[in-house]
Amino acid sequence: MPDPFSAWAAILLASVLTLATRLAGPIVMAFLPMSARVERFLQNLSLAVLAALVASMLARGGLREAASAAVACAVMLGLRRSIWAMAAGMICAAGWSFVAG
Amino acid sequence: MVRQPSPPPSSTPPLLTPAGLWQGVVQLAPVAVFFVPFGIAFGVVAGTKGMSAIQSILFSLMAFSSSAQFSTLEFWHGTVAWGSLALAVIAINARNVVMGAALAPWVNRMPLAQRLPTVALLNDANFAVAHAAFKGGARDMGLLLGSGLVLWAAWIFGAVVGAVAGQAFGNPAAFGFDVVMLCFLTAMVTGMVKRSAQLVPVVVGAAVAVLTLHLFPTGWNVIAGAFAGAAAGSLLDA
Repeated sequence: MPDPFSAWAAILLASVLTLATRLAGPIVMAFLPMSARVERFLQNLSLAVLAALVASMLARGGLREAASAAVACAVMLGLRRSIWAMAAGMICAAGWSFVAG
Repeated sequence: MVRQPSPPPSSTPPLLTPAGLWQGVVQLAPVAVFFVPFGIAFGVVAGTKGMSAIQSILFSLMAFSSSAQFSTLEFWHGTVAWGSLALAVIAINARNVVMGAALAPWVNRMPLAQRLPTVALLNDANFAVAHAAFKGGARDMGLLLGSGLVLWAAWIFGAVVGAVAGQAFGNPAAFGFDVVMLCFLTAMVTGMVKRSAQLVPVVVGAAVAVLTLHLFPTGWNVIAGAFAGAAAGSLLDA
């Protein structure tokens, strides 16, 4: 857990950068049009970073975490509702902990 | 793909009216209901990671980005890896740049002072609704802002409930709260893959992140995976 100063700095940093990405689109387009190539790279970047985060969480976790993520993925594919995917993954993990003690 | 070879917007300039704002609020209210449990989940998980209630609430208020906020918790260690945290947040939100660019034909014709608040609450849900409406001829930018406001309010409400209720959970693993972040991000990735070509950035990003896990300092394996995945995806899907 970071010290209070670092914690607030991290919160501020993440918030300001998020806002910057929201403002960047219209600002950039005011000066130069975005090529289809750049647009595709940015779309792929959002996808790849989330996949990288999930993968490193799984690499550090165990079977319980892998099973929960698999359940979440399956539910998302079936129902296309992230709220149910998240709930199903949690139930899987809670059930696993309950059974495994 | 949000880029459309659409003709330039008609000569009617965009508006920002209270009626448009209200329409956005009403139209996205059913979606906002589903933002509440996500907000609660974030508040609870942030609490278990050592974030104080006031910190997680203000974070939700200022950032209003579930994926960026959950990912920040991945960097919530004694020593914050500033560089990789910053790059991860930018990379996660890179799609905001694309969505903002798609809205630029309308946003950039508003008075300068109105542009900032209108795009400040841009997210996947209100983009989908507003962009479709504008392309269909709607001119009231209140739709974008109003829908952003109702989603933002729901997200903050959830965070407050989660931050306060979070204290009640002694052992987060017993309730599965320790996998919320993992399952949420997994669902996000799964939902974002709409064409098989999009599996390339996912697979390459995941593989590189795992292979470099013990090679790089904290968090940089994620950045390596992100850029490798995005590059591979762009090369193969040209």
